Amino acid sequence: MNALGPSLAPYIRSSRTLKKWVKPVAVWYTDLMGYRSMGLKYDDLQMEELPEVQRALGRLTPREAYDRAYRMKLASHRSVLHKPLPKEEWLNPAEVDKRYLQPHIAEVIKEDEERAAWDNMTIQRK
Amino acid sequence: MLAARASTASRLARNFATVVDSAGVKVAAVDNGQPTSAVTFLVKAGSRYETKPGVAHALKNFAFKSTSQRSALATVREAELYGGFLSASLSREYLALSSEFLRGDESYFVDLISSILTSGKYLRHEYSEYVIPVIEAESVAASSDPATSALEAAHALAFRSGLGSSLFASPHSSVTLEDIKSYGASAFSKGNIAVLGTGIDQATLSKLVEKSLASVTSSASASTSPSAYFGGETRLESHGGPETVFIGFGATGPADPALAVLAAHLAPQPSVKWSQGLSPISAGLPVGTSVQTVLLPYSDATLFGLLVQGPTAQGVKEAAKVATKALKEAGSVKGDELKKAIAKAKFSAASSIDSRDGILNTLSSKIFSTNEVSVDTTLASLDQVNEAAFSKVVSSITKTKPTFVAVGSVLELPYPDEVGL
Repeated sequence: MNALGPSLAPYIRSSRTLKKWVKPVAVWYTDLMGYRSMGLKYDDLQMEELPEVQRALGRLTPREAYDRAYRMKLASHRSVLHKPLPKEEWLNPAEVDKRYLQPHIAEVIKEDEERAAWDNMTIQRK
Repeated sequence: MLAARASTASRLARNFATVVDSAGVKVAAVDNGQPTSAVTFLVKAGSRYETKPGVAHALKNFAFKSTSQRSALATVREAELYGGFLSASLSREYLALSSEFLRGDESYFVDLISSILTSGKYLRHEYSEYVIPVIEAESVAASSDPATSALEAAHALAFRSGLGSSLFASPHSSVTLEDIKSYGASAFSKGNIAVLGTGIDQATLSKLVEKSLASVTSSASASTSPSAYFGGETRLESHGGPETVFIGFGATGPADPALAVLAAHLAPQPSVKWSQGLSPISAGLPVGTSVQTVLLPYSDATLFGLLVQGPTAQGVKEAAKVATKALKEAGSVKGDELKKAIAKAKFSAASSIDSRDGILNTLSSKIFSTNEVSVDTTLASLDQVNEAAFSKVVSSITKTKPTFVAVGSVLELPYPDEVGL
């Protein structure tokens, strides 16, 4: 298992019926998780203590890295206060809660896999 | 004896390459029967054409990074599997992407280099993780070498913009990825690319190039305002390296063969080991100091100069005096002295094409302008240098305003008037 963990999402998205049934549940569950009420994005919950994720974090634009640090600070402050943000400051899910880190992690994992493939290749001469 | 002469003739006949226009790209190949081949893509993307200081240097270091066909890692590993060797080098006028490989692998390596020109990805993380550290290291290494920094400063003084722009990005340059992308996009067009092959058949190379560069846009070739020579003086404080003085003179227009003769006449490097050499400079040099003649021909200007180096500023001052005196007196060189210099210049021109780098240097200056690139024309032009032409060129070049650069302990190094300029 890699840093991103297992995911059924691609399979569910590929089937129309499944998507229709699962999506409302997914939306409900995401709201229930409560990270948005603390001003965080889903990718802010990604476990950081992995070399792949560290490399991916290094690939964020300065703006993205700054915003991430700001959200973390805001959330820890809210956690100290034991109080979520006022409702109008919650993240608007459709626009803001984008996966900003996941593509970078996927890219890093792909690179690592490619390196492993080259390291362990066997040559077949024709 | 007849056999010997016949073999020389056949070797000479092979020593030139005809430039063929293959779908808008100039292709030249020399096949001397070597066991390995080399293909170099020469792009008019040197520091001369750059849009922002340091872009050309950054573009050079982006060579062999990810393309849409293969990642940077795959490029390296595949080249290793083929036993090939990839390199990129930057001059003031050209960016050269080279590959050396065993005969028979040309289709792979031509495809690899052309994919860099056609489909480079210029990823942001590759820029910050791989490219910027190399740029910084190269810039720092260049600035800590007195000879390199003297030549950089001399170019900036001599030509100001264009040829004067530095080969190296400053360690804290503001070059962004967008700058590199747009510079690459404008430079990698058909009129700007020439392909040089050694150890490969002309027809094979043309066919491969035509196929792999089919998607390159054919826009007009890069142009800049013609170079002008200015000259001037500068002094750079530096420590740790040898004390260095560069005395240069410039000329505009195509390279004059008489300057190569002048360089050969003044060069104090002896032809025999452990001897002093017969150059007018070598007799008067203080122990430990060295003088090198520097001849840098570009497509529309030439920088000729003497690079004086030594452990002490006093020694460098003496050596610079001797070198300047010899240069001023070179105009009156007659008879056998001149013949000797011409022979030396001819030998160095002819022997330069023994090596791949030499062939690349020789051909790169001509491939964009002429169709017949051969060493014979260079040798013939050197032969035509006579006493009158030589003294005319020497007096005209020494009449220009000198470019004087002192690198080292600036308090002790000489000023131009102190060495007789």
